[in-house]
Amino acid sequence: MKILIVEDEAKTGDYLRQGLAEAGFTADLVRNGVDGMHEGLSGDHDLLILDVNLPGVDGWQVLKALRAAGRELPVLFLTARDQVEDRVKGLELGADDYLVKPFAFSELLARVRTLLRRGRVPEAETLALADLELDVRKRRATRAGRRIDLTAKEFALLELFLRRQGEVLSRSFIASQVWDMNFASDTNVVEVAIRRLRAKVDDDFAPKLIHTLRGMGYVMEIR
Amino acid sequence: MTGWRHSITLRLALAFALLAALVFAALGAYLSRSADAHMAELDAHELLGKLALARRVAMNETTPAALAARLGDALVGEHGVIVAVDGEKGPIFAWPDAGTARALAGAAAAIGEIPLRLELAGGEYRAVAGALHTGWGEEARVVVARDIRHHTDFLDQLRRDFWLAVLAAALLTAAVGLLVARRGLLPVRVIARTAGRISAGRLGERIPEQDVPAELAELASAFNAMLGRLEEAFRRLSDFSADLAHELRTPIHALRMQTEVALGKPRAVDEYRDLLASSLEEYERLSRIIGDMLFLAKAEHGLIFPGKEAIRLRDLCQRLVEYYGILAENVSLELRGDDVDIDGDRLMLERAIGNLLVNAIQHTPSGGRIVVAIAREAERAVIAVSNTGPPIPHDALGRIFDRFVRLNQDNEGSGLGLAITRSIVHAHRGTMAVRSGERTTEFVIRIPLRVAP
Repeated sequence: MKILIVEDEAKTGDYLRQGLAEAGFTADLVRNGVDGMHEGLSGDHDLLILDVNLPGVDGWQVLKALRAAGRELPVLFLTARDQVEDRVKGLELGADDYLVKPFAFSELLARVRTLLRRGRVPEAETLALADLELDVRKRRATRAGRRIDLTAKEFALLELFLRRQGEVLSRSFIASQVWDMNFASDTNVVEVAIRRLRAKVDDDFAPKLIHTLRGMGYVMEIR
Repeated sequence: MTGWRHSITLRLALAFALLAALVFAALGAYLSRSADAHMAELDAHELLGKLALARRVAMNETTPAALAARLGDALVGEHGVIVAVDGEKGPIFAWPDAGTARALAGAAAAIGEIPLRLELAGGEYRAVAGALHTGWGEEARVVVARDIRHHTDFLDQLRRDFWLAVLAAALLTAAVGLLVARRGLLPVRVIARTAGRISAGRLGERIPEQDVPAELAELASAFNAMLGRLEEAFRRLSDFSADLAHELRTPIHALRMQTEVALGKPRAVDEYRDLLASSLEEYERLSRIIGDMLFLAKAEHGLIFPGKEAIRLRDLCQRLVEYYGILAENVSLELRGDDVDIDGDRLMLERAIGNLLVNAIQHTPSGGRIVVAIAREAERAVIAVSNTGPPIPHDALGRIFDRFVRLNQDNEGSGLGLAITRSIVHAHRGTMAVRSGERTTEFVIRIPLRVAP
């Protein structure tokens, strides 16, 4: 998967590229709007990460030019301003998602994966990892053949983990995906929710499937 | 001194002087005219008296010589009077001497019985003339004149004195005016001096309002009120900066210590990982505080523009209760009320009401109860979040919406939650209230109802 990053801030750009590369993507970085437009139009990228605050040709112009030329790659834009106008403007111009700086890298990664997956693979109706199984249609979860009782939100949380196996999910991403809470909150709601889910899914079983990555979030995988 | 033109003192003094000069000048002109008229009247009276005398004497005398002798007798002791009598055959009488009297008689053609002022041989005169019927039957003509030089001299002197008096009066009133204006404007100087003393560090200065005259009281009190507002705003601003510096310094200091200690000796990879993870948590906290402060700063300047979508308050609160309810262990959490719609920004409202919920959960003791109640009240939607728990002290209630106010010292929060809630509510043209009783504390948000499209 090839990702184009348009970001003028040197450090941010470098670490975005490094982070995405280490997550298994091919990441190209350009540092201004003109190069961004050129690369976006001529390259074969699968996704564009676009900072809207660029000197000279800004992100909006890049986005307009790409859409006007019929390039339909998914666009995730980054904005420093937490303002309604920016959110609305970006989505109206044809961006697919946005993040407000400063954001957690794991959150960016999760959103990038969501965008790349969109419309590609039909959503599976049964999910499984080790002896944990989830029947999405019947709303049934079992581990080692034993039925696990889950609340609706616990089920949604587990489904998210199973669909995102091996991916680090940040707290804010989980809050936004499961509870539709989209603002940075300094409460430990997600921690508590995961502790409860673990009690039902992991505590009495082996191997453990939900792991905490301190400072980053959570990941579901067999270790 | 700049702006003499604009000096009130000077203008007042000049106005005083001008007024005094005008009044005196008008008075002087009036007095001079009446003195003039009075003199003319006196002269006329005397001249006509002399004319009548001459006529009576002429009537009774039978020869020109007798007439001259009688007139001469009658005029003894008179100074400045000229009399000339001309008969058909030549001059009959001339007083005081022939030269002056002849000169007068020569100019007499134009003179009648109405006193006429004329100049003659360098002198000023008033004169009357008339026909004279003599006792011997000759028709004569008499001219009587009065030297009025001493009158005009007197009047001229009077006018000169008067102009001097006008000048003196003008100068005096100008001086007095200057003094009075200066004294009258003294409070303005006091205000100016007070203003001059004020600096960022001395906003406590005030103008003593009781010493200020009534006309300036309004200015003084407006000035003092302005100072009060400035002082308050300035205090808030410096508190804000101090708070911000403190809030940021503490975690940065901790981060620095931690990093320094960690670098002090070689460590296992896991230890480094732990350190980085713990730093990351601090960074997150810092960036949240900065974000929140930025939001509050923008809100304070009216730069928060909430979106305007239809919000179903019950749905929104339902989701919030579901989310934050996870934290409410051993506490009952209940949502009550009808569905009420408002226009607003979903993200902001979630944040505002969410903060109240978190606040309630943090302050409710085990076994307590939290109620989120939605209601409609006139034109407004009411969202009340109440929780059981000990009352908030009265003095703390007043500043509960201020930044960095933590009622509970061991509370982990940033102390910005309620301030943000209030900013958001205000940005939605709503109001915010708090009530704390013996057993329950209640926060109430009121926001205008949705306007039907």
